[in-house]
Amino acid sequence: MKIRLDSEVCQGHGRCYTLAPDLFDADERGHCVLLKEEVPPGREADARSGVENCPEQALVLEED
Amino acid sequence: MSTSDDVRRDPGATAVVDLAASEDPRAVARTLREQPVFRIGEEFCVVTRRSDIESALRKPAVFSSGADAVNLGNVRPLIPLQIDPPKHVKYRRILDPLFAPRHMAALEDEVVGLVADLVDRFAGRGSCDLHEEFAVPLPCTVFLHLMGLPIKDLDLFLDMKDGIIRPPGNSTGDQEPYRKKAANDIYAYFDEVIQSRGDEETDDLLSRIMHAEIDGERLTAEEVVDVCFLFIIAGLDTVTDSLDCFFAYLAQNDDHRRQLVDDESVIPAAVEELLRWESPVPAVARVVTEDVEIGGCPVQAGEQVMLLLGSANTDDATNPSAHFVDLERDPNPHLAFGGGVHRCLGSHLARLELRVALREFHRRIPDYSLAPGTVLEYTPGLRSLHTLPLVFSAAG
Repeated sequence: MKIRLDSEVCQGHGRCYTLAPDLFDADERGHCVLLKEEVPPGREADARSGVENCPEQALVLEED
Repeated sequence: MSTSDDVRRDPGATAVVDLAASEDPRAVARTLREQPVFRIGEEFCVVTRRSDIESALRKPAVFSSGADAVNLGNVRPLIPLQIDPPKHVKYRRILDPLFAPRHMAALEDEVVGLVADLVDRFAGRGSCDLHEEFAVPLPCTVFLHLMGLPIKDLDLFLDMKDGIIRPPGNSTGDQEPYRKKAANDIYAYFDEVIQSRGDEETDDLLSRIMHAEIDGERLTAEEVVDVCFLFIIAGLDTVTDSLDCFFAYLAQNDDHRRQLVDDESVIPAAVEELLRWESPVPAVARVVTEDVEIGGCPVQAGEQVMLLLGSANTDDATNPSAHFVDLERDPNPHLAFGGGVHRCLGSHLARLELRVALREFHRRIPDYSLAPGTVLEYTPGLRSLHTLPLVFSAAG
């Protein structure tokens, strides 16, 4: 499972890195930075939560 | 006089779409969503569905947030709200880092102290007016601390923000003199503060804004004032509104209140869910810059458009379980802070204040209810209460 980020669409709501801080981080402006593109085994639920809580749909999960 | 002026002159004309003052905004929104665009007069329309609201928020060139979108008494555009891209980006690059979640987290201890101070004043009394004694002073006090301004200016700030947002009078004409006076007061206050600060850097938000550089340039004194004006309009009343809504909800829903009291780890998700459910800022204004279609309805250049965030947040077309409260809802991608490039700059500060307020209040006062005989009256425009009388067992 992979996470894709569209940085142009991210507006810094900060939901992803608040919910799953080991998968997503913030840059200086508070916009999303991906810490892991490949979701580690067992972390699928957190990845999904980070992705699906984005109000801008800036994040997408790609299932293997 | 244009139709939109008529509408602004007569708040009664827009009452039908005002989710803020409604006893049940979810029901009003459900009816409004039967049509994608609800038209009032010839130059004013309301967008009701989440999908259309999302796409409007993401097209700032077509849906302008410029100074024509809403009258707040200001003579220059408020920064960054009333600036459209590309210039908007410059301001957000300066301001976003100052309001980023990590920066806000450093304020937590201070906010805990302020919440405790306020609650301790009435915890032993067994009753309070949550609105007057907590929801109003908290965000304004936090703001003064954050900006490095004297706490003695609290009442002055409350007068200035009420003069713009809640001026006396029932028509725009009656309200205008109050709005003008408040705007003049805000300009005069910050002109003087910024001048008196001189070039010395201090450890507060105002100083950081004054000294922040973008491409080697600082903001001008006028630009700093226009940022501060927006802070007063956008940052004080909205948190008051949220606190009123949250505590009124929790006073009437014992199971949900107990859920928070029994497990504080629910609070962050509960803040998101109550923001979604109550949508204290139920709409944002835009002006359409070119002829467009919204949900198949033609809207012409120059028309004023209200994007009903409160309706987007409860739209069951995109979220089948939108019609009930689930404090642990996940996912919950609500639009209570708007979206697109104008996403609420202060959202992370607001979240911190709301989270800390819920936690610290309920640690001290876990059980409360509305005072007997209370009829809640929500305010138009922004969803607040005139008064929120609560009763509880006196602590200690």
